[in-house]
Amino acid sequence: MSRRRPGWTAAQTRRTVQIALLVVFFGLVLAVRLQPGTDQPGPLVKLFLVIDPLVLAATALAAHAVPKILLWSLLVVGLTAVLGRVFCGWVCPMGTIHDLAGRLLRAGRAKRRQPWSRWQLTKYYLLAAFLAGALFGLHWVVVLDPIVWLTRSTATGLLPAARWAAEESSTAVFQADPKIGSWRVSDATDPAYQFLRDHAFQAPGQDILNRQAFVGGGLILALLAVVVALNAWRPRFWCRYLCPLGALLGIVAWRPLVRRTIDKETCTDCDLCGMTCHGAAASAAGQGWKPSECLGCLNCTEACPRGSLAFSLPAPGRTQASEASLDLRKRALLGSAVGGVFALAVLRINPQSRGKVYHPALIRPPGSRPEPEFLQRCLACGLCMKVCPTGGLHPTFTEAGLEGLWSPRLVPQIGYCDYNCTLCGAVCPTEAIVPLTLDEKRTVRIGLASFDVTRCIPYAYGRECMVCEEHCPIPDKAIYSLNEWIEDRTGHWKKIKQPHVDPEKCTGCGICEHVCPFEDRPAIRVTSANESRHAADPVRRPLGNQPILPSSDADPYG
Amino acid sequence: MRQHSRRDFIVGSAAGALALGSQGLLSHAMAAEEPTAMTIAKWTGPKELGAEELKQAAIKLTEKAIEGLGGLKRFVGQGSVVWVKPNIGWDRTPELAANTNPDVVATIVRLCFEAGAKKVRVGDNPCDMAAKAYPASGIPDAVKKEGAEVLFLDKSRFRDTAIQGERVKSIPIFPAILEADLVINVPIVKHHRMALATLCMKNYMGVMESRGTFHQAIAECLVDLTRFMKPQLCILDAVRILKNNGPKGGNLKDVELTMTLAAGTDIVALDAWGAVVMGKKPTEISSIVKGAEAGLGKIDYKAIAKEIAVS
Repeated sequence: MSRRRPGWTAAQTRRTVQIALLVVFFGLVLAVRLQPGTDQPGPLVKLFLVIDPLVLAATALAAHAVPKILLWSLLVVGLTAVLGRVFCGWVCPMGTIHDLAGRLLRAGRAKRRQPWSRWQLTKYYLLAAFLAGALFGLHWVVVLDPIVWLTRSTATGLLPAARWAAEESSTAVFQADPKIGSWRVSDATDPAYQFLRDHAFQAPGQDILNRQAFVGGGLILALLAVVVALNAWRPRFWCRYLCPLGALLGIVAWRPLVRRTIDKETCTDCDLCGMTCHGAAASAAGQGWKPSECLGCLNCTEACPRGSLAFSLPAPGRTQASEASLDLRKRALLGSAVGGVFALAVLRINPQSRGKVYHPALIRPPGSRPEPEFLQRCLACGLCMKVCPTGGLHPTFTEAGLEGLWSPRLVPQIGYCDYNCTLCGAVCPTEAIVPLTLDEKRTVRIGLASFDVTRCIPYAYGRECMVCEEHCPIPDKAIYSLNEWIEDRTGHWKKIKQPHVDPEKCTGCGICEHVCPFEDRPAIRVTSANESRHAADPVRRPLGNQPILPSSDADPYG
Repeated sequence: MRQHSRRDFIVGSAAGALALGSQGLLSHAMAAEEPTAMTIAKWTGPKELGAEELKQAAIKLTEKAIEGLGGLKRFVGQGSVVWVKPNIGWDRTPELAANTNPDVVATIVRLCFEAGAKKVRVGDNPCDMAAKAYPASGIPDAVKKEGAEVLFLDKSRFRDTAIQGERVKSIPIFPAILEADLVINVPIVKHHRMALATLCMKNYMGVMESRGTFHQAIAECLVDLTRFMKPQLCILDAVRILKNNGPKGGNLKDVELTMTLAAGTDIVALDAWGAVVMGKKPTEISSIVKGAEAGLGKIDYKAIAKEIAVS
């Protein structure tokens, strides 16, 4: 690029902005954690999700509801109508990662012409399919939304991996405790570890050792790796061919106010502009510019040795380039939409989708809406999993059916629902988990504990234990004990305390399961039974998921 | 994993301790008098107390009980490092009496510095998340004002430690507690469904990890742990006690204002007193009986305790 014009270029500004926003994105995901002193991590942590118009569109269609905070995305819609897909080119952190990956993976390769290809229409057909599905309540588009995808991958994959590396290496040094003379090596490694522990990965004293990993996090990370690797084949592969958010913004950028101008007098059709184009937006050298495919990266203006290219508002004396049509086929769009509806049927024809059959391990966070509504809103963005101070919320795989892929569930064996915490509802961008006050949250039942008396130590082995009762956070204790006389194998009788669960007091928080001395398969386990979100529904589900009748004479069918 | 024994720490500090301690020992020998082993401070002032008056009363009870033992100079060496080990087990506020009274802990910290301590560290290994239990307990705020360093015990920074007990051979212990010159054990008197009461011996469970199996033989395990910890000074807080639904509590109706506090060197005697405060017979609590059998102290606290009225 020896012929590049000297000086700071607009494209360099764009690169600076991209890197800065990528850092902001990771910083905000890191900030989704317990903040000592204040209760809530603040609304800013949802920033990238709530400015995503696809989240707004899919939620509005699927849930017939618009959480007010999502209206911020209209700013991006407005911006796109004026400037085109600059969100993709300048803001989107996933886009920046693809941009960087493309540069790294393709470094040293000769630049070649890369005109627009019909395959780039794929993303519009995908969008049509997903929006049609959303119209019938399918919120699956969010699985492919780049902001949601990257948020989830960062929260459940990238950060746990970084944390694992930092913790394991420094802990290995600490436990081996090597010394050089009188100097301990851990005096150097531990301060670094402590800084990361207390200022990046968790709040001071928030001990989530062994809970820094998420069930199925490896798969989520692997999928990210695959889509990033595709940049080796085509730069910005995801953005060009697949991204449904890019497609939505492409439609908004159909005829943006600011458009590309070419000075035909000086242009020599050298196509240096086309070789650096992020979006493959032009169909031939210097012509056929498709605004819906242009990411506003400004590489073309930087690459042009004659300065023949510019982006400008319509003004007297300047002729804006004529745009080439996208050539979307009506029949293909319709076919895609039908496909989307068909996909909905495929996702739903299994017994446990939509809560018709209650999966025992599907313990939803406190404040979660009833399952069908929950699935119409949940983005599977992973913010609740990231913020959960005990590390108890994990992405589902099959527990909620394929429709609920990667939505949150509590795994008490790994982390419990803290009695004094409401963070998951506070960070949920779509109110799939309704934000609750602490008093409200404490009345919500997310499940019910039950003893496995073939394992529980006082029952099965005749020894005292009661660790579960000790930890039960309910002031009046949902776990209580009864004295039983038992005979041991020598014929000796002794009195022992055997624990029981009071179903009216148990909220299913799971701390009992978490602290049970049996770590392989705890002897007290929580299942989704008795959850208050699935109360009696006289027509469809006479008992909801609440098999335990309240002891008062209230009529559950009334 | 390398095993660290208590001996490593003791040998390291023996020379210094000897030099510092010999003078004190000498004066005691000349006085030819057995130092007081236990004091019980009892509030005899007005029954109805506002928040500030209650705080002042807790401070006075602590001061008088320690004064009765001969002051902290008896235990705290000049320039020494002291670990004050309260009970910060739960994410509960002070009035719920699930954690040690913060004013009691802060007073001990102040007296440690007055007695010549170089550094006072405060920390516990809570059952609830430390990030929430610490601030809820009110202890960090109170002790930081007195100049103490508050430490979270990182679970990955415990080291497997040989304690060579009869039942417990080795457990992970937080090394910095063992490295301190003096550990002051400051529990609160609480109800416990299984152990009946949680007192001084049980409070040592906060220096360790992997404690889930202790309950199956709580008395034997506590005896092993206490023997290893070699208690020098315990201060048992009974300003407020948790009478029911312990050890976590959460109900004000389960809390009783008993306005008393004991300090001493005999951990079994202190626990026996705590049991009585809870309304139990000391012999009902297995760790007290086993502790006395193991020679860790005497159940008959009345024979050694000096009562001090505070108003």
